Amino acid sequence: MARGGGNRSRLLLVILLVTALFFITLDLRGVSLTKGSRSVTQTILSPVQRTVSTIFSPVGRFFSDVKNFGKTNAELQQELALNKQLKAQLAMSADTKGQLSQLKAVLDLAGRGNYKVAAARVIARGSASSFSQTITIDAGSASGIRPDMTVISQNGLIGVVKSTTSSSAIVLLTSDPSFRVGVRIARSQSVGVLSGLGSTIYSLVLLDPAGTIKTGDILLTNGSEGNRPFVPGVPVGAVVGVDNSTASLTQTATVVSYANLNDLGVVAVILGAPTTAPSRPIQPSPNPTVTVYVTPAPTPQVSSLISPTPTPSAQPTKKK
Amino acid sequence: MSALRIVSTLAFFFVLFTIQESAVSLIHFPISGFSLYLAVAISLIALEDHNGALVTGFLSGIVLDLSPTSNAPFGQWALILTGIAFLFAVNRDSIADLTSSPVTFVLFVAVGVSIALMIYLLFGSLLGEQNGSLSHDLIVVLGNALWTIVFTPMFLPTLGRVREYSLTARER
Repeated sequence: MARGGGNRSRLLLVILLVTALFFITLDLRGVSLTKGSRSVTQTILSPVQRTVSTIFSPVGRFFSDVKNFGKTNAELQQELALNKQLKAQLAMSADTKGQLSQLKAVLDLAGRGNYKVAAARVIARGSASSFSQTITIDAGSASGIRPDMTVISQNGLIGVVKSTTSSSAIVLLTSDPSFRVGVRIARSQSVGVLSGLGSTIYSLVLLDPAGTIKTGDILLTNGSEGNRPFVPGVPVGAVVGVDNSTASLTQTATVVSYANLNDLGVVAVILGAPTTAPSRPIQPSPNPTVTVYVTPAPTPQVSSLISPTPTPSAQPTKKK
Repeated sequence: MSALRIVSTLAFFFVLFTIQESAVSLIHFPISGFSLYLAVAISLIALEDHNGALVTGFLSGIVLDLSPTSNAPFGQWALILTGIAFLFAVNRDSIADLTSSPVTFVLFVAVGVSIALMIYLLFGSLLGEQNGSLSHDLIVVLGNALWTIVFTPMFLPTLGRVREYSLTARER
């Protein structure tokens, strides 16, 4: 330390370290000043990010384009689009079979996928100087987006809204290590928790000790109360490996996401889900009222010989 | 470090931060990603004298803490980069005259970036943050070091000139 510059330098070092620790303490105690500063930064950054994204996006894909150099791009895109479409169809179909096998509400299935969404463009990705996996989108609270809303791409779930400004929002991706989502297996309807691991591979822990996971099982979001943060029935991924360790109480598996998180251009934030979603109680529609018109047969004219009692005079009943 | 230089350094880091968050972060690097901000900050720390390094480290950390995508508490980067600056200031003389050996300088910066990221991970773990698997974190750290070695020689001459320009007559 003596080489470092004497008492003045030592004092400066202590002041700076104490200041940093002071900020950390304030932040951990939830002081709005430190939280607000990041919100202000996002507000300032988002217009710049939007502009730069428009100009810079072809450069951003440079490295990935180099890898595909030599392939017929049109063919590749066509095959990719078809593949994505088939995967989505497969997910919905398997889920439908699972639900029907358990005699669950058929009406819920009809509403699946009928989400009210706000489309948005990805204008930035999480900084390389932190280990969090996020994207910034160019739609915010002005478009009805609020924190804890589900975000999807064309292939399924990609994340959840972390914070918003009026014109932008930060989305925590499913690959983030802190990301957790309740999922159910479409085949068996068993429920589990899916965790991000920092890449496109996820970890699934089944909550049901008697449940089983099979390779190829399709996972869908289980849904949250009030559809926030997750709406039910969104395709998440497929099981690619099952851990058959006898030591663990519940089964675990490795899952690959349907959505390619490295190639996100346009995403959709789910603003509202159908009210007949599987997580909500089904309200059966009222039974139809049956109206019966009674028209009595004409009274037979009885001869005077056998008519000791008076004949009732029947009147047609009218509907009230 | 004069007040004028503190203000100009802060402004410089804001611009750099905007570039990092708006442009550099959009590039899909094959191995992990590249933090231009960290590379430049560590380079500047290495170029400064003892007190200058400490202040530069703190200021660069504070600006980096403003990142809206960060999960870390505000002040964590300031603490880490101040610590890194202290290590640089104390040990710089014993390593070599960095400015006369660009290759050593680039390696020194790459090692500095890696150490900063590893300390960030360590702090994060202590504070209960989820940072993913060890293998993934190692790839991120090594990827950053690799890209720092690749890109630092490109911006280093410009950075040196900008720094010279910002020095006051007394500091020169």
